Amino acid sequence: MAKTSSLKRAGYLCTGLVAAALMGLAAAPVQAQTAGGDLVVVQSSNPPSLDAMVTSSQASRNITMNIYEPLFGFSEDIRPIPILAESVEISEDGTSYRIPLREGVKFHNGDEMTAEDVKASLERYQEHGATQSMLEPIASIEVTGPLEVTLTLKEPTPTFLEAFASPRAPAVIIPEEEAAKAPNEISFIGTGPYKFVEYVPDSHVKLERFDEYSADTDHEGIDGFGGKKTAYLDTVTFRVIPEPGAAVAALETGEVHLLEQLPVPTARRLASNDDIEIYENMPWAFMTFIFNMKEAPSDNPKFREAVQIALNNEEIMAIATEGLFNLYHGWMYEGSTYDAGDVGKEYYNVADTERAKALLEEAGYNNEEFSILTDSTIPEHGKAGVVIGEQLKAIGINAVINQVDWPTALKIRLQDEGWNGWTLMMGIEPYLGPAALISALTGEAAHFRDSDEELDALYQELISTDSEEGRKAVFEKIQKRMYEFFGIIKVGETGLMQASRANVEGFKPFRFPRVYDVWLEQN
Amino acid sequence: MISFLVRRLLSAIPVLIVVSLVSFIIIAIVPGDVTAELAGSDSTEAQRAEIRERLGLDRPMIEQAVRWYGRLLSGDLGQSYLLNMSVTDAVLERLPVTLSLAGIALVLAIVLGVLLGIVSAIRHDSWLDQGSMSLALFGLSVPDFWFALILISVFSVGLGWFPTGGYVPLSESLFGWARSMTLPALALAITQMGVVARMTRSSMLEVMSQDYIRTARAKGMRSHTIIFKHALRNALVPIVTVVGVMTGVLLGGAVVIEQVFSLPGVGRLIIGAIQRRDYPIIQGGLLITAATFVFVNILVDLAYGWLDPRVRDDR
Repeated sequence: MAKTSSLKRAGYLCTGLVAAALMGLAAAPVQAQTAGGDLVVVQSSNPPSLDAMVTSSQASRNITMNIYEPLFGFSEDIRPIPILAESVEISEDGTSYRIPLREGVKFHNGDEMTAEDVKASLERYQEHGATQSMLEPIASIEVTGPLEVTLTLKEPTPTFLEAFASPRAPAVIIPEEEAAKAPNEISFIGTGPYKFVEYVPDSHVKLERFDEYSADTDHEGIDGFGGKKTAYLDTVTFRVIPEPGAAVAALETGEVHLLEQLPVPTARRLASNDDIEIYENMPWAFMTFIFNMKEAPSDNPKFREAVQIALNNEEIMAIATEGLFNLYHGWMYEGSTYDAGDVGKEYYNVADTERAKALLEEAGYNNEEFSILTDSTIPEHGKAGVVIGEQLKAIGINAVINQVDWPTALKIRLQDEGWNGWTLMMGIEPYLGPAALISALTGEAAHFRDSDEELDALYQELISTDSEEGRKAVFEKIQKRMYEFFGIIKVGETGLMQASRANVEGFKPFRFPRVYDVWLEQN
Repeated sequence: MISFLVRRLLSAIPVLIVVSLVSFIIIAIVPGDVTAELAGSDSTEAQRAEIRERLGLDRPMIEQAVRWYGRLLSGDLGQSYLLNMSVTDAVLERLPVTLSLAGIALVLAIVLGVLLGIVSAIRHDSWLDQGSMSLALFGLSVPDFWFALILISVFSVGLGWFPTGGYVPLSESLFGWARSMTLPALALAITQMGVVARMTRSSMLEVMSQDYIRTARAKGMRSHTIIFKHALRNALVPIVTVVGVMTGVLLGGAVVIEQVFSLPGVGRLIIGAIQRRDYPIIQGGLLITAATFVFVNILVDLAYGWLDPRVRDDR
């Protein structure tokens, strides 16, 4: 079999060495890591499940990504890198992925990981995984050696590896005997640097250092979801504290060490506290406003354009995020690989009421009710919905706010009737890249109820285009199309305020709190 | 006495049936279901329909209710959709937290409230009376979640005497348990303390002007014997009457306090279940909470009879 492309560790090693050498030139004095201690991390809600495959919840991912590992994951610069895989070799026709596995990787039960475990885990994902579509291109999974699996795809899918590496609901590897179990019935056994100890709902999840952890020595240190991970702490406790005031108080007293999220004004107040470090995890999510294209008046593209032109995005973001925001028109983050430049910029943050009124007239708008669906569970949603409503009233739209709780909002937005606009923060999709973002806007479950044929076709073109350059060009067309049919408005980008005690060393904000390579400085 | 107990227990059954029926009806009215939580917010209608069918949520409400009551008769409250455990286990696991919180709060409310009320009554129209009643009024007026945050700010962040939250089981450490429950119980007790203080004061003032108190004084009986042996016992009767109602208020208030102090109690369990539409937990949790409330009221009725033999004889 001819190999046309491969992803190997050596290349990363070289890059890593160069980067390390470069960083060394300006490195701060090296601080000695201290082993031991119990790190207490706070999050506001219970993990719905610790069975990593079956949930796409952030509250679960925060914990499970320290317990389990997938074959591939994203690097710091959001490219797929091998984690439990040694490398991957893709056949010339793009349908066969031969994946040798890392040797000597142990599960938390002491057993060594084999190709059988990998096959069983991936097959379980195909059946129960929360984002099964990412393995949908796979026709078969074969064990082709004690430490090797080969995935055969139904057809060439150039974006397969990016999708496969997605941390949204990661395709983690668990022991074969666990893979046979139903969702949520497994013992929480992974290969990660920390192992599961106990879960007391509404109280805490406790993890313990896995002493037999086989670190990936091909890297110099951690890199995104992968790299060389080192567990310094004896134990890690994820405490569930729903009340932000109580969580902050616990940080101030030193009862807890790390807050996964805290209110922006509180973070500003704590900035002058020498015992506390504040981290601005930015960018974290897109704030979006999605139209129902099946319900009048939002079924009319001209009407939607009027809304786009009317909005003062800066005002919405400033109020919704309490000041932690960035304004950018692009449907990928500024400066990222797929950033499409100025395409659509002229429609963004225009706040031109006169032009918007003219567009409304052109659309034949006749004071029909425009129902804004929003929720109180995620405060940013509710606040954005209210500000959008007020701005639309100013141009003569009969905007009505329908603020409900999150499950109700999800139920309503899945209906063709009963709503016109919906506020939604998209966190993981823009992070995962163009395919993940656009897939939410196409096909049967498209956010705007009706699919846009042109966007659907462009999405197919995107996922079947071989080269990165080609995909960039397709994404430019996608962004252009987004600003033509106005099915969704990007309001802005927001971040996450995080905080730790000053004695927490090594913590780097990321898509989940990485508790490996973190240690507690002894006083 | 036994026939009284049996009658009270039998009269509890319709109450519990009504509670469970109301919870069923509310669930039927509230939009949203557990499928989005189980299948993910970007799941397809087909995936959600498959889950609804598996859980029996596609069946008519009447059929679901009949099935639920059928299981209930055999003592089975069903299985949580999301917790991977039975409803009974989930609730019983958390009941000690809520009961100890409400129990300590009840004791605090009664002890502090009665003391304030007595002080007010025996120092009627003095600055002590004014001060005690101002404190009682403060307790009645202040929202418990705000008071909870103030307690955390002063006693945890400021003085460092108590933890900011979390629960230490009694089996692990008596001292740790007491520390973890003090501030939550105080925050929960504050409103009821105000109620008890005001009731005790008015009740004591009324009793203190009775002939038998005057007679006791005339006999030269010591002041504290008159207050605690004769006046207080009689003044307590109306207070005991409200203890049953107070228990209900405290169990309800525990929901907020458990949230602020991150205590893993029944209140948080039910709130979490409502937010995620875990219907069996909502139904089972409400039923067990209501049963607790009814049971406490039966105990209160018994205590009432003990305090006032006339009531017992009337039965």
